Amino acid sequence: VRIKVFYVANDLISKSRFNFQNEMKRTNLGEFEEIVLLTVARLEDNAYGVNITHEIIEQTDRSVRLNQVHASLLRLEEKGMVNSKMGDPTPERGGRRKRIFKITAFGQQTLTDIKEVRTHLWSLLPSHIKPADL
Amino acid sequence: MKIQQEINQPPRWASRLLQWFCAPHLLEEVQGDLQEEFEFRIQRDGIRKAKLDYIRNVIGYIKPFALKRKSSPHSNSILSMNMLKHYAIVAARNLVRHKAFSAINVFGLSLGMTCCLFIFLWVRDEKLVDNFHENGESLYALYYHQSNGSGGSDAGHSFPYIFKDNKERVIADEIKQSIPEVEFATPYVTTYELPWGYMRTFQAGEKIHKLEGSAAGEDFFKMFSYELIAGDRKAPLNDISSLAISRKMSDMFFNTPDDAIGKSIRYENSLDFIVSAVFEDVPVESSLKFDFIINWKRIVAGGVERSDNKWPTFIQLHKDADPMAAASKITTMFKGLTGDVPGVKLEMGLQPFAEKYLVSNFVNGKPSGGRIEYVRIFSGVAVFILVIACINFMNLATARSVRRAKEVGVRKVVGSSRLSLIAQFFGESMLLAILAMVGSLIMVQLLLPVFNNFTGKQIGSPIADPVAWIFLTCLILFTGILAGSYPALFLSSLKPVRILKGVVRFTPASLWIRKGLAGFQFVLSIILLIVTFVITRQTSFVQNTNLGYDRENLIYLRIEGDLYPKYALFKERVLKMPGIAMVDRSTEAPHAMTFVISGPFLWEGQKKDEFVAMKPLSVGFDFIKIMNLKIVEGRDFKNNPADSADAFMVNEEAVRQMGMKDPIGKSISAWGKKGHIIGVLKDYHTHSLHEPIKPVIMDVKEYEYFGVIIVKTEPGKTKEALASIEKVWKELNPNFPFDYQFVDKEYEKLYKNEMVVAKLTNAFAGIAIAISCLGLLGLIMFSAEQRTKEIGIRKVLGATVANIIGLLSKDFLKLVVVSFVIAAPVAGYLMNKWLQGFAFKTELSWWIFALAGISALVVALLTISVQAFAAAIANPVKSLKTE
Repeated sequence: VRIKVFYVANDLISKSRFNFQNEMKRTNLGEFEEIVLLTVARLEDNAYGVNITHEIIEQTDRSVRLNQVHASLLRLEEKGMVNSKMGDPTPERGGRRKRIFKITAFGQQTLTDIKEVRTHLWSLLPSHIKPADL
Repeated sequence: MKIQQEINQPPRWASRLLQWFCAPHLLEEVQGDLQEEFEFRIQRDGIRKAKLDYIRNVIGYIKPFALKRKSSPHSNSILSMNMLKHYAIVAARNLVRHKAFSAINVFGLSLGMTCCLFIFLWVRDEKLVDNFHENGESLYALYYHQSNGSGGSDAGHSFPYIFKDNKERVIADEIKQSIPEVEFATPYVTTYELPWGYMRTFQAGEKIHKLEGSAAGEDFFKMFSYELIAGDRKAPLNDISSLAISRKMSDMFFNTPDDAIGKSIRYENSLDFIVSAVFEDVPVESSLKFDFIINWKRIVAGGVERSDNKWPTFIQLHKDADPMAAASKITTMFKGLTGDVPGVKLEMGLQPFAEKYLVSNFVNGKPSGGRIEYVRIFSGVAVFILVIACINFMNLATARSVRRAKEVGVRKVVGSSRLSLIAQFFGESMLLAILAMVGSLIMVQLLLPVFNNFTGKQIGSPIADPVAWIFLTCLILFTGILAGSYPALFLSSLKPVRILKGVVRFTPASLWIRKGLAGFQFVLSIILLIVTFVITRQTSFVQNTNLGYDRENLIYLRIEGDLYPKYALFKERVLKMPGIAMVDRSTEAPHAMTFVISGPFLWEGQKKDEFVAMKPLSVGFDFIKIMNLKIVEGRDFKNNPADSADAFMVNEEAVRQMGMKDPIGKSISAWGKKGHIIGVLKDYHTHSLHEPIKPVIMDVKEYEYFGVIIVKTEPGKTKEALASIEKVWKELNPNFPFDYQFVDKEYEKLYKNEMVVAKLTNAFAGIAIAISCLGLLGLIMFSAEQRTKEIGIRKVLGATVANIIGLLSKDFLKLVVVSFVIAAPVAGYLMNKWLQGFAFKTELSWWIFALAGISALVVALLTISVQAFAAAIANPVKSLKTE
């Protein structure tokens, strides 16, 4: 009997959350956000505004401004893909603290999902378009 | 080194800008990032580019994500239903818990609002006068300004006929014909105002009534919006014998307005008019009052007397005409008509008709002052009183804050933002303001009849008036915000840590503000007190001053109808009746002689081009006796034909102005009647005390001439005397209803404005003092509460009740004294200006100020001592054991 109740309950929950979960399943990540997220992941414990910006410029050769990166970090945080905490004060910032961003499990999962989808789609491409190494 | 550092800083204005717009929760990291980037750029690109880049970055942050303040989980509930309900409950509990404070607050505010509301109603009513005419925008009243080189100047709305070619010309007609800007123009003169006006007697069939009306030109009804309800609507005054009457008058004589049209109506038993139109009764808000309108030409043709030889002219300009241009053309036209008088400069002006009622005086030849001054004074008083009431509220609310402080502390600790606290306190004051408004509306409703009686107005209830509701709403908002501002800002600024530790220290500044506010209240109250004293004193001076004649037991009646030929018989018969002491006659009612003229008088020793404006008076033989006038030189009139033909009396002022020495026996003439001065009268007041004493010239015309009959009754026998006169009147003059006036009552009517103002300032000063004392009461309650422990300890150590009362009262009494020092000169200045309006006035003696100061002090002392006494006799054990 218990098991039966559990199933019913589970069923109800999944029904009621159906839309919500469906929404969550979709990666819902902009192209720029993806780059920022990847950079945050790469910089590990040292991901903060200026650093991330410089890294993106260096690695992608895009001209990126601090405010864009910052805005996108805040959006990522809202989406739950990064979290942040204030670091220690540093002298080069006039004694101000940095906000250190860290990728969350959900963020990692999202990146993986995107990668998988892409890989899958690439694999379906006809061979004359595919780059040689794939 | 230091300079280097300076240079290596980012542009200061940019960092300031960032600090200002950036949301606080992001500021630190953004500033940090920008700083780091800045230093990185200095290394890479140099200082100049780094700075530019910094500015670009800052500007880049002006984006919603950085501007948006982080919403705290609690503060967004300011307006949530739950919190509103909670605030309401807290407010209600506070009201009920501190009944005395709440009552003082609400009652004080109510009183203040009631005053404000009454003044608003009065001012609004004043402003509405003459504002109902459809053509109001283009209606003007003509005025003149005449000045000679030596600074003499004279201005007014009314001026006499122009004599040229021995032909009487009506100014209105001339203007309409020759000035292109003028669409319509009409003269207007009443038949009932001073100096010669009286109620006219009309008769239709058996019905006889006395009514007041005016004469005007054909354009009158085209210009002014007096609605015609029957008869000739296009040209009701076309004919010299046509008469337009009011609905009231039509109802008196005829069945219906339509029925009245074309009917004949007899005027003063001498002329017949045909009713050509009936108009709706003149509305209360019209300054022109009349029950009938006669064609102006009827007066020119003779047979109907006007009340004055001067009359105002009203003009309607074409829609887009320029009044200035029209006025200057009228001036030119006048100069052409009168010819140049050397040394005299004449200027005509146009005043918007709607303004004429409020602005009726002239300063330097321009309309300025008049009733508008009272409107201004009372508007000021209204704001005064409201501010006093609001200050009370602020003071009491701040004083109470010791009790509310804990609440504020707890609220802040559980996360209430300052904003929501401010909103809460504003909400509370708004709630109280609404309560007070309800109270004051009730008061207004109850007192409105008394107020109308006071002011002689017919103001309706404000509840039915949408404009009044707008005012009420503004009043609530104003009071709520003003009264709530200080408590809201002060209480919400308290530091929770300190409050909850139990220390609420008031800074000296806040104490100072509270005392300052209370002091300000007293300044205003003392000013009002002094104003009241002065006005009351002047009014009673006016009523009781020795006018130079006896106005007790004097009755006057107009000589009209058959009394013209029968005056001698009337006098003889009345004198035999009971209750009558003396009977005589005069050309004008003796208390308010307004006729002044300079042309007709010639005297011995007169220089060329020398004129003296005098008040001429023709009287009977007993006039001096009946009026009890004093003779300084010479003798009284004697009842003989010689005096009738030859005797003149003048007053001292006339002698002075004519520059006569030894006036007795000097020859003098008026209107060609030549004679000699037989006596000089001591100056007496021939009009209200607003006017200086003017020269008077008097001769005897016992058996001819118009005017009034003056009857002196025996003291205490007024009723018999009136019955006697009426009996004789009915026999000799049956076609005219019996009508009479008492000289003393009519004299008082000359000061109607002052009486109203005196009564109102009395009331307002009382209220202002009452409100201030309520405030003082609140403050001393607070002070006593703050010092409960101190008082306890002092008592334990042996202080007497008197010591304690002194301790509590000292500061407040000082406050009253300081307020007095500020208020006295201000009030002195104001009252000095007001008294300028009287030619005969009371002095601003020091004792008036002293009296006002002492009254304020005494009232304050009484208020304080009640509460101080209660605090002083309290048992110290109780106050000390609470810790």
